[in-house]
Amino acid sequence: MFQRPIYLDCHATTPMDKRVLSAMLPYFTEYFGNPSSLHQYGWEAETAVQQGREIIANAINATPEEIVFTSGATEANNLAIKGVAEAYFSQGKHIITVATEHRAVLDPCEYLQTLGFEITYLPVNSEGLIDLEKLETAIRPDTILVSVMAANNEIGVLQPLKEIGEICHQHQVLFHTDAAQAIAKIPLDVQEMSLDLMSLTAHKVYGPKGIGALYVRRRNPRVKLAPQLHGGGQEKNRRSGTLYTPQIVGFAKAVEIGINNMAKENQYILQLREKLWSILQQLEGISLNGHPTKRLSGNLNVSVEGIDGAALLLGLKSIVAVSSGSACSSTKIAPSHVLTALGRAEKLAYASLRFGIGRFNTVAEIETVGQAVLSTVKSFRQKAVLG
Amino acid sequence: MQIYLDNSATTKPRDEAIATMLQVMSLQYGNPSSLHSWGQEAAMILETARLQVANLINGVDSESIIFTSGGTEADNLAIMGIAQKYSHPKHLIISSVEHSAIAEPAKSLEKLGWEITRLPVNTKGRVNPLDLKAAIQPNTVLISIIYGQSEIGTLQPIETLARIAQSHNILFHTDAVQAAGRIPLDVQQLGVDLLSLSSHKIYGVQGAGALYIRPGVEILPLFGGGGQERKIRSGTQAVPTIAAFGIAAELAAKEISQETPRLMGLRDRLFDLLADCPYLIPTGDRLYRLPHHVSFILSNDFALKAQEVTGKTIVRQLNLAGIGISAGSACHSGKLNPSPILLAMDYDKNAAKRGIRLTLGKDTTTADIDWTAMVIKQVLTRLIPSCCHYADVK
Ligand SMILES: Cc1ncc(COP(=O)(O)O)c(C=O)c1O
Ligand SMILES: Cc1ncc(COP(=O)(O)O)c(C=O)c1O
Repeated sequence: MFQRPIYLDCHATTPMDKRVLSAMLPYFTEYFGNPSSLHQYGWEAETAVQQGREIIANAINATPEEIVFTSGATEANNLAIKGVAEAYFSQGKHIITVATEHRAVLDPCEYLQTLGFEITYLPVNSEGLIDLEKLETAIRPDTILVSVMAANNEIGVLQPLKEIGEICHQHQVLFHTDAAQAIAKIPLDVQEMSLDLMSLTAHKVYGPKGIGALYVRRRNPRVKLAPQLHGGGQEKNRRSGTLYTPQIVGFAKAVEIGINNMAKENQYILQLREKLWSILQQLEGISLNGHPTKRLSGNLNVSVEGIDGAALLLGLKSIVAVSSGSACSSTKIAPSHVLTALGRAEKLAYASLRFGIGRFNTVAEIETVGQAVLSTVKSFRQKAVLG
Repeated sequence: MQIYLDNSATTKPRDEAIATMLQVMSLQYGNPSSLHSWGQEAAMILETARLQVANLINGVDSESIIFTSGGTEADNLAIMGIAQKYSHPKHLIISSVEHSAIAEPAKSLEKLGWEITRLPVNTKGRVNPLDLKAAIQPNTVLISIIYGQSEIGTLQPIETLARIAQSHNILFHTDAVQAAGRIPLDVQQLGVDLLSLSSHKIYGVQGAGALYIRPGVEILPLFGGGGQERKIRSGTQAVPTIAAFGIAAELAAKEISQETPRLMGLRDRLFDLLADCPYLIPTGDRLYRLPHHVSFILSNDFALKAQEVTGKTIVRQLNLAGIGISAGSACHSGKLNPSPILLAMDYDKNAAKRGIRLTLGKDTTTADIDWTAMVIKQVLTRLIPSCCHYADVK
């Protein structure tokens, strides 16, 4: 087998933790029932789903009934945004979000625009943060929802959820956050942050792909939500479809592991990132994208001047798996909308690298990658000079 | 002894599916949209699975397979994805025995002003093609008829129905979640434009499904986002689950020529063994029937003699005896409402609460069937002495 590159793309997806896998296995082989069934097999599955629901609810200080399982954060975002729009449009058709959101938030917003909704896209400053005053002035009497992501998938920047929540609460506007990148990596508390809706996914925290959840507040206020998938009426009619027991078990395990080790793990990963950054800083014309400290510990996003981003990725391909933008949009050759929103010149935006450092990376790997980037960039520059 | 006879609710994942999934989970965990080799490996796995699933239904062009999170999403995508193309409400035809994953989206379209025709069925749950012909209007844009009904096992004459749709230039969808892997399916021969599949009903794992979309048929997405699955279904694909779906589909295709007759044999054996029990009335069509599907209602007589008995009573009793079956379909079985499927077949409201369903699977043996028949008779006799004869199996 070929030597596989070092995996530093943990914002696209993460390797699964072995403990998660072991937790899931019995639900494929032994307790495989449909949680809606009324026999032993069904009850075993239902119990597991219920336990998973509790773990995830506890992790964000919610109650189990407030968790709606979905196929991932994309579905959760769509359910939150379209579901709220459909349930509240008689109160207003204005939604506020941010220019640097993931496509899974921007797309449903754009869809709603075609239905006559008005969307305000808040700008961010050069470090990727929104301006709270701008948020407050953007809120209108007909605003029904504010959606601001917890952690950005490209630059890792963490928005001030607590402050945003306070503003939304004061103005009695629902507050949604896309926490796909944040769950079990930073503390999330739906009470303290006055969150009404929150999207989660498992595969960015060493859990399985194809499972996520939407937190939907049931008290103060009780959020109304129009379902987007119709059918058997699972999840109290908020999301139909057979529940994926093993994935739910895995999701819960992944969140539990993440929460239990959060501080220690962040410290470890941060140390790796600082190491990588200190190596890369030896390059001339390299700059950090996003706020230097208000960011996910595993995220390092840099722009390198005068280098073709696609060529750089190709040059590094055999050594390290990184990406230039978010995974989902990396098949398009277009400047990243996130970097563009930071006010980066388009050319710079092209030559950006996103490193996503994770639980299983080692210091040695980081050194190898750092050196490889140095030498690749240097050789590109030499070639350019030699013509 | 534990006997699982609820394979229409979900199936036990097969070993090969689990092995494939585990390998992908532990080694090929990249995001298929990533451009590096981890991503490309994952993308290749996805494409292999696409081909395997396409082959199960003779999809020819594997691009015609769009992966979803399951059958419910595939059904919703078919109905809503077509409906959203129209800025003004149109006309949709479904049957009166659809799974809720079709019936409910249809209801929500109705609220938006769409006209919905729910074709009647005969007492065996079959649609009459003449009724379809008569229902078609100039503004009909989609017809969706379930292939194999999950509660009563009845198969619909899909080929005939699809031809009618075709001759009127109307798109035709079928929910083949229960039929797939149990009877041979060929979308070319059937002439359907859209077809829904679900992994966990064919010994794959939960959390994957697919919508077959005939090349050239335009459909709008349910969710927006990263634009995966040819922009028809956004969201990071559940690669390990989909890989398991692929292998399950491949093996189902390979085994179907033997498995279908084997299941039919067991199914008929169970019907025969219970035929002398006058209080069990078979539901659905005995001829046009899913090969793994056995269903009854408890007769009026029985209900008169044993008070307040419903399908759930029997499910509970059998569960105590270690046999997992269901009353109606799993998704509904949380509530004790009369089954809409049985109501559509002209059973009265009380009778429609007395359905039971036993669905066989690839691990079901003759001994399981014989034992189950005996236990059912025992349970019924306990509720009404001298209900039916049974020989004690020691
Ligand atoms: C911020 C953010 N939101 C949403 C998503 C989509 O999540 P999923 O892949 O679970 O649909 C992602 C990942 O791609 C993400 O990074
Ligand atoms: C006929 C039919 N359609 C759709 C579904 C829904 O499929 P899934 O459980 O994969 O969402 C089911 C299963 O419950 C079914 O039996």
